[in-house]
Amino acid sequence: MPALIELQEIVKVYPPALLALDHISLRFVEGEIHALVGENGAGKSTLMKVLYGLAHPDRGRVLYQGREIRFASPAAAIAAGIGMVHQEIVLVNEYTVWENIVLGAEPVGWFGQIDRPRARRQVQAIIDRFQFELEPDARVADISVAARQKVEILKLLYREVRVLILDEPTAVLAPQEIPQLFAELRALRDQGHTILFVSHRLEEVLELADRVTVLRRGRAVATLPAAGTTRSELAERMVGRAVLFQSRRVPQPSGEALLTLAGLRAVDGQGRISLHDISLQVHAGELVGVAGVEGNGQLELVHAIVGLLRPNAGRIVVAGTELTAAPILARRRVLAFVAQDRGRMGGSLSASVVENAIMTHHRLNRRLLRWRGWLLDMRAARRFTAELAARFAVSTPALAAPLQTLSGGNQQKVILGRELLLDCPVILLDQPTRGLDVGSIEYVHDQILAMRAAGRALLMVSASLEELFLLADRIVVLHRGSLVADVPVEQTTVEQVGRWMLEGVQGDG
Amino acid sequence: MNLWTGLLNGAISGATSILLAGLGGAFTYYAGVFNIAMEGMMLMAAFCAVWGSFTFSSWVAGLLLAVVGSLGLALVFILFAVFLDTDEFVTGIALNLFALGATTYLLRQSFGVKGVYAGSDIEPLPALTLPWVAEIPWIGPVMAGHNLIVYGAVVATVASAWLIFRTRFGLRLRAAGYNPASLDSSGVSARRMRVYALLVCGVLCGLAGAFLSLGYVTLFSENMTAGRGWISLAAIILVGGNPWGVALIALLFGLADVAGLLLQSYQIPAQFTAMTPYLATLVALYFYARRASRAIRGRAAGFRDE
Repeated sequence: MPALIELQEIVKVYPPALLALDHISLRFVEGEIHALVGENGAGKSTLMKVLYGLAHPDRGRVLYQGREIRFASPAAAIAAGIGMVHQEIVLVNEYTVWENIVLGAEPVGWFGQIDRPRARRQVQAIIDRFQFELEPDARVADISVAARQKVEILKLLYREVRVLILDEPTAVLAPQEIPQLFAELRALRDQGHTILFVSHRLEEVLELADRVTVLRRGRAVATLPAAGTTRSELAERMVGRAVLFQSRRVPQPSGEALLTLAGLRAVDGQGRISLHDISLQVHAGELVGVAGVEGNGQLELVHAIVGLLRPNAGRIVVAGTELTAAPILARRRVLAFVAQDRGRMGGSLSASVVENAIMTHHRLNRRLLRWRGWLLDMRAARRFTAELAARFAVSTPALAAPLQTLSGGNQQKVILGRELLLDCPVILLDQPTRGLDVGSIEYVHDQILAMRAAGRALLMVSASLEELFLLADRIVVLHRGSLVADVPVEQTTVEQVGRWMLEGVQGDG
Repeated sequence: MNLWTGLLNGAISGATSILLAGLGGAFTYYAGVFNIAMEGMMLMAAFCAVWGSFTFSSWVAGLLLAVVGSLGLALVFILFAVFLDTDEFVTGIALNLFALGATTYLLRQSFGVKGVYAGSDIEPLPALTLPWVAEIPWIGPVMAGHNLIVYGAVVATVASAWLIFRTRFGLRLRAAGYNPASLDSSGVSARRMRVYALLVCGVLCGLAGAFLSLGYVTLFSENMTAGRGWISLAAIILVGGNPWGVALIALLFGLADVAGLLLQSYQIPAQFTAMTPYLATLVALYFYARRASRAIRGRAAGFRDE
């Protein structure tokens, strides 16, 4: 089959010395779904950017329909028929579905007045043609994340794009929403569209794609047909060694309750209830996983426990200490916290590794303090950081280097190590493996399980049900701020939890 | 002419400059520019109008120069706040202070006077008699006999509402404010929409300033805008930028303005009567905030009932 897009010996160097793409040659065939997998930093996003005109290769050629192309901008790429749906959805929430779709390519009448009937008709026509279930007059603010993603895709189809690039399209979806997206993508392929998609989730890649290309450190190490390839094979090629996918959690009896939430309620600035009478206990040696579609109260729950949000009612007790109204520093004596956003809340990207490693310790760890806490012993701080780096296998150019010079996995190791070294009875983890690659995830999971074995009480929020089922003893489900389920992991299934996430308990009947 | 007709007539005159500046600000408000430079643009325009009308003995020249002067400041705002990414608030303050200092200096340089220049050689905007307007009962006497810019402001209100809510330009303009990343990814530059919005704002503030010094009165005095640009900003924020809402609020301020003048005949010191529009602003803000917080509490109560 002739290639629709052909990459020839693409080289991309990010100064000073990062070889992001190392002589990549690839062929994408018309009408196929082609997945790109690889660890973080393997070059997936750079490759997509080169195709989409956001980055320009230093060497090599991109051929599209047999002709060499070099897009100056994404707009030029779209005009040529190549469109990309980014991981984060960028729509105007205040606009309706049809307004978002036509924005930038509006049908107009006299004096630039928008021809609304025609615009709505055209949008309805493409919705019907690709059988997307969408209401053109719904406001984007009122529709689900899955529906917003469809709007993004339709926006490109409205511009008659033939090649769709999707960056982690399932990352924002609930498990139940994924099959529909996949069905729609297959329908698009069957109508002759070519789909390239980037993903971390290997089982989804194998389910959806026709062919899979594995990238490792800027090189395309293999292109395989999805049929007949296993997840372990892919993972091994990605990482360069075998990766375990089974749960390594060993059953153990749990002890006393270390974290108790009783009737926790919070109301946000607009008067909406964000937490609805949450009661929950986490025991020593137990890991409780919090599942839920993003925006159903996970962030508020975490913030209430850490002290960033004052609950309107209810109590928080950690290891026998009442913390409901305690200041954050008092909470941090008994509570370790790994924030979901490494660069903003978990750490400071422009601060050095040392400074990041001693955050919170600089107030609580006597080793680092001199003169009754008025002075910080920087020599001790560097020693402490060196120990942390050794123990948690952090690979860093220098301890004085800014955190942002480290890879995502190593940044997370610094933050995880810092929190675990606080030696707190309760550990709160908010999406601790978000955006990490397979190898780093495995490492973080090992550390979490070690804490569980050491008798800590762990509460973990995760967007990945697979991760929760791998690590948790119990799973609780948040739906619109309410705790709708609390079950031991052995007594439930991914499908059931997914249903609870979407519909609450009533939907289960 | 009875008292009410006089009052409303005065209110319309008082409202016009606030309305025009407010409409200009509405464009930048929707485009996501925090623009507080209406005051300075208007003041610069008011001076340029008097200077142009005096120098060329023509109100047309005055009007054109007013727009040019105001646009000049808008271009400076564009250069700094849009292209050099300086803080919009700081840029706006700088422009307002610059306009105040520059007009005061130029007044002394060009006319050799301090404080006020009110020579009879300034040609004011002519009053326009639209024959069919005067004959409408009730509204006729109120609407008739104003100058060109007053009718222009009415047209501008309708045109702004249509432009912002009905056209391709408006859809893109509002998108630039709501989510610039989305507009950029749709192939339209959000930055360019901001430039357009500021240019429109410059033209409208130019008209507002010309009305002040060639229509409302025929003179230029130092700081003659006296906070009208700020009041127009308050009006925009109060109604969320909607041109019809801006018009309504501008009329209310026009009324407060006239009420202040009326109060002077009751031997209340002029300093107090001059406060009326600003007090009205505070009162309006108070009621707006009350309504907003009640709405929030109402929604919270609704949830508790569930």
